[in-house]
Amino acid sequence: MPPAGQSWSRLVKRIQSGEASAMEEMYGIFTTGIRFYLCRQLGPQDLDDRVHEAFVTITQAIRKGELREPERLMGYVRTVVRRQVAAQIEAAVEQRRRQIDPSLGAVVCDRRPNPERQAIEREEAAVAYRVLQSLPPRDREVLVRFYLKEQSPAEICREMDLSATQFRLTKSRAKMRFGELGRARLAHHRGFRPQE
Amino acid sequence: MAESGGHFDDEASERYSMGTLSGEEAEQIEEHLLICEACRRRVAGSDTYVTAMRRAAARVRRSKKRRKD
Repeated sequence: MPPAGQSWSRLVKRIQSGEASAMEEMYGIFTTGIRFYLCRQLGPQDLDDRVHEAFVTITQAIRKGELREPERLMGYVRTVVRRQVAAQIEAAVEQRRRQIDPSLGAVVCDRRPNPERQAIEREEAAVAYRVLQSLPPRDREVLVRFYLKEQSPAEICREMDLSATQFRLTKSRAKMRFGELGRARLAHHRGFRPQE
Repeated sequence: MAESGGHFDDEASERYSMGTLSGEEAEQIEEHLLICEACRRRVAGSDTYVTAMRRAAARVRRSKKRRKD
């Protein structure tokens, strides 16, 4: 939300008039959210540069008066970072195309997630697998249909003759179990022994 | 979908992680995520859970198929 006692329009006006404190406020409000979005979509590589690039685009647009509805500042920020993600993905696709065709002469780079991240994801999947294996086959089937086949809850309930409540219960029990097993595993890795 | 203060519930968070929200719903959530730490933590948790469940469910499917073959 905008700084206390202000509106987005007021903040935009202050940035347009070149107030340094207004720029700082905008950075303070949006930096973490922009980092989160970009990191979630593109991974942690070059994150600082990408965040900086987003702010440059947003600030320039505000100063040039291109932001026609200042009250919609949040929507504009979202649009800028989405475009940035789309451009990055397009560039990555192009690079992959060049990797396939060496005559186009691009640098080949390794885009796999880092080994530490891969190990964490493997562990989390192992916990989820234990959760699924601990369930009755019918409950397991519900979750496989939902998470893997992406069937809608209504479709699953219809095809498996379940009520919406049964569906919700199956899902929430599995999630709770995942949390318990995950915490237990984490405690084990840290050498934590619960007190008796 | 929305709770008070623009926050959203666990179900919406999970659907966002799965990419099954409508464009308009995703837009609302993404704007809110720009300014809300609590909901960012919620989505990060959903991302972890959904990714793990998808991998585990694929493994269940594979072993079921192997048993059939």
